[in-house]
Amino acid sequence: MNRRVSILLLAVAGAGVTLVYGADPLPSAESILDRYVQVTGGKQAYEKRKTEIAHGTVDFPALGIKGSMTRYAAQPDKYYYSVEIAAIGKMETGVNGPVAWENSAILGPRVKRGVERAEAMREGNMNATVNWRKMYPKVENAGIEVIDGEECYKVIMTPDEGQPVIGYYQKKSGLQVKLSTVASTQMGDIPVEMIASEYKNFGGILEPAKVTQKAGPQEFTMTLDRVEVNPVIPPETFALPAEVRALVDKAAAK
Amino acid sequence: MPVRRLIPLFLAALSTFGQAASRLDLDSFEKVWTTVRDKHWQVKPGGLDWQAIHDEYRPRVEKASSHDEARAVIQEMIGRLGQSHFAIIPATVYSVLDDDGEGPGSSGIDARVLDGHAVVTSVDPGSPAEKQGVRPGWQIERAHGIDLNPLIKQARSNPAVHELQLTRAVMARLSGPIGGTLDAAFLDASGKTVNLSLGLTMPRGTLSAFGNLPAQYVWFDSRRIGQIDYVRFNLFLDLPRVMASFQYTVESCKTCDGLIIDLRGNPGGIGGMAMGMAGFLVDKPDQRLGTMYLRDSTLKFVVNPRANIFAGPVAVLVDGCSASTSEIFAGGLKDLGRARVFGSRTAAAALPSAFERLPNGDGFQYAVANYISEGGQPLEGLGVTPDVVVELTRAGLLAGHDAVVDAAMSWIRSQKKP
Repeated sequence: MNRRVSILLLAVAGAGVTLVYGADPLPSAESILDRYVQVTGGKQAYEKRKTEIAHGTVDFPALGIKGSMTRYAAQPDKYYYSVEIAAIGKMETGVNGPVAWENSAILGPRVKRGVERAEAMREGNMNATVNWRKMYPKVENAGIEVIDGEECYKVIMTPDEGQPVIGYYQKKSGLQVKLSTVASTQMGDIPVEMIASEYKNFGGILEPAKVTQKAGPQEFTMTLDRVEVNPVIPPETFALPAEVRALVDKAAAK
Repeated sequence: MPVRRLIPLFLAALSTFGQAASRLDLDSFEKVWTTVRDKHWQVKPGGLDWQAIHDEYRPRVEKASSHDEARAVIQEMIGRLGQSHFAIIPATVYSVLDDDGEGPGSSGIDARVLDGHAVVTSVDPGSPAEKQGVRPGWQIERAHGIDLNPLIKQARSNPAVHELQLTRAVMARLSGPIGGTLDAAFLDASGKTVNLSLGLTMPRGTLSAFGNLPAQYVWFDSRRIGQIDYVRFNLFLDLPRVMASFQYTVESCKTCDGLIIDLRGNPGGIGGMAMGMAGFLVDKPDQRLGTMYLRDSTLKFVVNPRANIFAGPVAVLVDGCSASTSEIFAGGLKDLGRARVFGSRTAAAALPSAFERLPNGDGFQYAVANYISEGGQPLEGLGVTPDVVVELTRAGLLAGHDAVVDAAMSWIRSQKKP
């Protein structure tokens, strides 16, 4: 019943969504998200992965700027992500225990707070894909939308804290092909849209090798080249940089 | 697919190689028009019926008989917006900038137009100009055989020409190919004409590339004057080096009486650097320099206080050639009450912009947002009015004084607690 109401509301709103309301009832959002886990490798494959190091590139084509990116992750919630662009320097972000942080040559170090911290914590959860139930207490299948000629289920995932995330999952393959949300950043709320493509098997898990992201006025592409599965990652990789540690200590001293 | 975000950057890009084919000019026209339609922060760019603008100008580009004529029509079209940071940059400009044998050669002179004349305001140490005795305050009468005074008079008669454009035009007359010479005539302190043939060498600084933006020479200068640290840099570019140098200077200034940040002649660069630098000076969290308004989002120019900041008096120096990021930095710190601004009104050209390459090889600069400083005023069209207005004078320069620096130092000394 609730689902029918939401479909009706969408139709009335005429929100640019192509609704297919045929004989087949819409699957539940839960089943779509579980299917995504299944088609990308299965719960066991995810849980077997304790650590990973992903290597790739970032490309801002309109600006002629390219760089490299490296992402370290360890179960359950350690995360370090670094992008290096020659003309800009290093931009890094991470989660270690209760601290979500960011540091860059351009803006300096800072500790994330509030909604931004909550979003970072979700990103820092290595198995967020499998643990979607912990991330998003409320999920809803909002209908079907056609993306690049393919029918996709539109799943709205609402966290306890932060803006809903809308994922689009191909009806045929079960793969997520698009994601949109409004990201909370210290500069303000920024609409973000990501298009995922070129799924490849990286050590037993299918991941999009190419993600094109539009965030505010910027559009860039992240390409995943290789993923090291279950490597030994020294704990200091996830340690807070000295500049961030100094901020944490300064705040604690107040 | 987890949400991954990178810090929004407001940057630039371009490149060269000209062609005369009208198809490329038409494609370029469409790219410019479409970019403004899609990326201007106002749904109705400049309050104009943008579709009608297209219908008015496209036939003119179709009829253009040359690349230059097509460019002029496109330039006229974006000129209708009446906003800065919309420009077509000829491909040849980039060729010149990319080719260090064409025009970047410098004799080491920096100049401004004072009272209708080009006047030397500083001479780089060790430069050909310094070696041949050129001094601040000398008036430049002629360069490369061209009499500058009539040119300046003509330019100043057009109210649309700003100080920034005029200064750039003068500086262009003083440059030339590296290895070449600048034959110039000066009036020295006694009013005597001095004719010199100055060698043109590599410009000061390090050649720094940033995406598609033509490589530019970036320099950073810092020194201690008494108990006051003085910092000057020519562009908000070469980010890793300039930010590191700025950090080093500020951290070295822990016990000094004050800090002078000289942004005169600095036309801007990467907007985010204003926030990053302010983080070394502002201790209170959640402060911002201003707000940028885009079509679908609003970006706050927040300041991240560093663990160790400089808490003493800060003076920021500006002039009519301080533009864009310089204005964001100076205006924001002024509005926050963190700095006292000295000099003359800034260029009032502060719209964040990007550069892209057009199909015909020209460059296209376009603004993507409006920017309101923290005090509630737009910088575009208004600029930053200094707390203390001080103008350079030829007499002062000849006497060895930089009146703006002197005023800032005097204020900093007055802030010293007994």
